[in-house]
Amino acid sequence: MKKFLSIALMTLLGLGIGMSHGLAAGYGKQKVVYHFNVDDEKVQKAGLGNIQNHLNAVGKENVKIKVVMHGPGVSMLRRAMDDVAMKTQIDNLKLQGVDFNVCSITLERQKIDKKTLYDLSDKDIVPSGVAEIAHLQSQGYVYIKP
Amino acid sequence: MSREQKFSDEFLNAFVDEELAAEDKNSIYREISENETVNQRVCELRNLRELVRFAYADPPAPGAQAVRARRAVRYAYGFTAAAVVAASLLIGWLVYQPSGRPLSSVPVVAVQEPVKVLVHLNVGNPQRMRQTLDEVENLLQFYRANGQQARVEVVVNGEGLDMLRADTSPYPERIAHMQKEYDNLTFAACQNTIERLKREQGIVARLLPGVTVIDSGMAQIMRRQHQGWAYIRA
Repeated sequence: MKKFLSIALMTLLGLGIGMSHGLAAGYGKQKVVYHFNVDDEKVQKAGLGNIQNHLNAVGKENVKIKVVMHGPGVSMLRRAMDDVAMKTQIDNLKLQGVDFNVCSITLERQKIDKKTLYDLSDKDIVPSGVAEIAHLQSQGYVYIKP
Repeated sequence: MSREQKFSDEFLNAFVDEELAAEDKNSIYREISENETVNQRVCELRNLRELVRFAYADPPAPGAQAVRARRAVRYAYGFTAAAVVAASLLIGWLVYQPSGRPLSSVPVVAVQEPVKVLVHLNVGNPQRMRQTLDEVENLLQFYRANGQQARVEVVVNGEGLDMLRADTSPYPERIAHMQKEYDNLTFAACQNTIERLKREQGIVARLLPGVTVIDSGMAQIMRRQHQGWAYIRA
């Protein structure tokens, strides 16, 4: 009986591993937008961690990820100015093809100087964060809010 | 029952007064989410009920006054419909007059697919409510400035319901102003949350004017995404 159980367990385990591999291969191509609009260090760091895990699971060649920040969420790039860990997280994600976009309405309304935001260039600024997210969804991007 | 009969004013009134069986209620909820006209009618009837309830502090079921008020509304509908028909006849007569040529000189406007966005709020923090209203207003302004046709629906459930309750909303004037300014904006409250509030806390939620009720916030989010709406959580 014990033997039978262990064989059954091994079979199940084998099946499980096989299926998880199959699933990983079966994710196909993905387009994903990650939305940040709160000024909360924990949420922001966890969100960046989620994105890295996402890339690990799917493979950077299989997924296009865009981060859209607006309102209080823009603070992520301000924080990264002085936070080495966060800076590294963002640099690594950018190296894997992740875009970091910021809402121009937020910059204007809150009179935020672009220079106070980490590694932000003009091509990263979108006219409206929320409209950008809506647009990306119409282009087949899946929406995730950490 | 035909579709026409099903959505008569009587039927919708019964719905607003919560006199319908669950099955009929659900069919209206479905219709509301898919059919803008029905949505508007329900909204108007609900407002009327609110007005009547407000005027007659504690109405014993729909009394004679309510019936009269509704009859008045029905007359108003009738009158409007007659006016619309008359106006169309006049326009038709003017346009097709002697030569009977169709209205070919009017440029055909390129049909542009409107952007549709659902904004979901489920937290009761006034700061987040304000941020949500800011986001929605910025979005509507952005689309308007760019000549982009759009529809935006704000769906609240859970603690987010507080934003649309007349007795708890921190921003009733602002919401009224936004509703007036943008006819492509709707606010929708989750019926499940309203019922839970009644069941668990004995609170009868009175909603701000013009707020639509949907069966379930979550179901609405799924439906809207199926219908091609973008989803954004505030």
